[in-house]
Amino acid sequence: MEQEFDFTYVLQFIPKILSTLGTTLTIVGGSLVLGLAAGLLAALPRLYKIPFLRRVSQVYVSFFRGTPILIQLFLLYYGLPELLKQADIDLSKTPVLVFVILTYGLHVSAYVSEMIRASVESVDRGQVEAAYSVGMNGVQAFTRIVLPQALAIAVPVFANLLLALLKDTSLAFTLGVMEMTGKASSLTTLTQHFVEAYLSLALIYLAVCLVLERLLRVLERRLLRHEARPVPAKSFESWRTKWLPFGLPQAFKLRSKGGDA
Amino acid sequence: MIRLQGIEKSFGRHPMLKGIDLEIGTGEVVVILGPSGSGKTTLLRCLNFLEKPNAGRIRVGDYEVDCRTAGKKEIQQLRLRTAMVFQQYNLFRHKTALENVMEGLLVVRKLPKREAREQSVQLLEKVGLGGKLDAYPSQLSGGQQQRVGIARALALNPEVILFDEPTSALDPELVGEVLSVIRKIAKEGITMIVVTHEMGFAQDVANHVVFMDEGKVVEEGHPNRLFSSPKEERTRQFLKRITPDGVYSI
Amino acid sequence: MKLDPSFIWKAFVELLSVVPTTLLITVVSVACGLLIGTAIALIRTFRVPVLHPVAAAYVTFFRGTPMITHLLLIYFGMPLIVDGVSAFFGWPFRSSAIPMIAFALLSFSITAGAYASEVVRSGLIAVSKGQLEAAYSIGMTTPQALRRIVFPQAFAASLPNITQLFIGMLHGSTLAFAVSVVEINAKAQIVAATNWKFFDAYLAAALIFWGLTVLIERAAGLLERRIQLYNRGGVA
Repeated sequence: MEQEFDFTYVLQFIPKILSTLGTTLTIVGGSLVLGLAAGLLAALPRLYKIPFLRRVSQVYVSFFRGTPILIQLFLLYYGLPELLKQADIDLSKTPVLVFVILTYGLHVSAYVSEMIRASVESVDRGQVEAAYSVGMNGVQAFTRIVLPQALAIAVPVFANLLLALLKDTSLAFTLGVMEMTGKASSLTTLTQHFVEAYLSLALIYLAVCLVLERLLRVLERRLLRHEARPVPAKSFESWRTKWLPFGLPQAFKLRSKGGDA
Repeated sequence: MIRLQGIEKSFGRHPMLKGIDLEIGTGEVVVILGPSGSGKTTLLRCLNFLEKPNAGRIRVGDYEVDCRTAGKKEIQQLRLRTAMVFQQYNLFRHKTALENVMEGLLVVRKLPKREAREQSVQLLEKVGLGGKLDAYPSQLSGGQQQRVGIARALALNPEVILFDEPTSALDPELVGEVLSVIRKIAKEGITMIVVTHEMGFAQDVANHVVFMDEGKVVEEGHPNRLFSSPKEERTRQFLKRITPDGVYSI
Repeated sequence: MKLDPSFIWKAFVELLSVVPTTLLITVVSVACGLLIGTAIALIRTFRVPVLHPVAAAYVTFFRGTPMITHLLLIYFGMPLIVDGVSAFFGWPFRSSAIPMIAFALLSFSITAGAYASEVVRSGLIAVSKGQLEAAYSIGMTTPQALRRIVFPQAFAASLPNITQLFIGMLHGSTLAFAVSVVEINAKAQIVAATNWKFFDAYLAAALIFWGLTVLIERAAGLLERRIQLYNRGGVA
């Protein structure tokens, strides 16, 4: 049965778990790249209101936001090899990590697509009109006026997304990937020091989260330097949770309230 | 010279403009008056194709388009000849005052950066904001933002500047500074079309007043004449409501 | 891929039997989470001495770490504490008597509390200061003003976020498998274990979750429209 709590184990476990930080970050990085690309692709039909594709994108986003990531992991892991077998592609030797990155990538892309859509739509219509009024064409108005502003609005949402992704990768161990959570769990079977192992794990996640948050805050401040009163960071912490992407319009209302007046 | 012929515009099934004909000479300052919903702002936005008219012809200087057939290129050409000052300023939020003015020069007129900057600084000085070049819109008062908006419009060196209620979003004490800037550039002989409720301004700056109601031009003429002896009953009613006694009796 | 529709249907029906477990976990954790979250939000808004930094640390820790670590820490840590206390006082109670689902409920409530505190806080911020001042001006006390003026408005403002919290906890409930609670996810595994049709089983599970999520969103949308009637004619 369990051993008594011994803090020296925490100190001993932390470096061991840290040795798999690279795997965790690989999943985060890989799925982020995939998610941004797929998310942009999914957002376009809805931004440009393309008749049929718009529905497809809606269903896609709804599915990946409407089902738990854990279920998605299993679905792709068991389903994809079967599916591609029909096309004579053999995935039986493909490393699990690929499935994991693919799943997290698709999962994130649904949120990315919503993020892109919401931030573009939240740029005031008057900005586009002003751009047209000085003679810009559609492309110029988008790239020079809408995009930079949408980007600034999207950063806190993106921060939110990234941190949620990092935390979600802790579920990759269910498919046997040796990332940080998998490592921690293997340490417990060796030592039976459960609490110490999971405490070490939590502390590492916390540290990585805090570092990422700081970095993103700096980025946000740079992109938002045109707002006189910087958006009160406190009131925006809430939008940094993954579970709130649909609360976005509210966030934007708050922001514009802070900026105008 | 600007000439509008038979401009029509409807939103869904609701007609906003029912055939507007208007001729404006170079250097004229035209004020458009009318109750809200009369189509003044829509008319202005049609001139810049921020709204696409359903029918009619627009001529600005030597360029004429048929609204029904106007494509991207024609719209672009028209926009190059007009500039707009918005009610809500619509300054580019992520750019400084200077960058706001430079933007059109750089991107549309393709001026070299140095030249664009020089011209923009001059214009901002002209509207009294030489000291606010690097301020972002959110750091400026409404009046200052609107003056940047005017400088941005001037920068394009358009044949006509369209003012869409340029002072109605402003606090009363800031209206004066914006009007005096508009007055100043009016004296330089730039053609302007102004939608406004500022009767005093209309009276001393405009040389032509157009009164619109329900999507039509009801009456037009010199401000002195129109204000003192309007021919149409609707104009009289409107003037009575909008002006305190004695303002327009000269 | 050979899908087996009859098996999917069978799995679907079997999974339906554990939907109540999933919903129980979700509802309890959201409800407790909102209670904890409101307390935390008030502590932080009014900057209650001593408690204020503790509340901030709680929120930072639980939002900065994955939900699965909370569950595992509670699952393995609680018995140490409970048995220790029990032994100290000489009680006969042992942690082994605690049902598994209790660990999940406790842990998820604590997780939800951290997120809910931010939801409540931003709701409070959305209510303008003038509202509180107006309440004071007609002689209300702070609790009165909060209960009668601020909370109803804050609730309306945070409804979309509460919905997302709810959906988040619904999806998060799949983690309960780690402490052997049989909810939809764990049940899918069990159902598939008989014939190895994992994909079919998880597809059925996905459909159930998808359906529940859409249902919650719809219901919340209706509620939102009713609740925000007073707001009509605003910015939108």
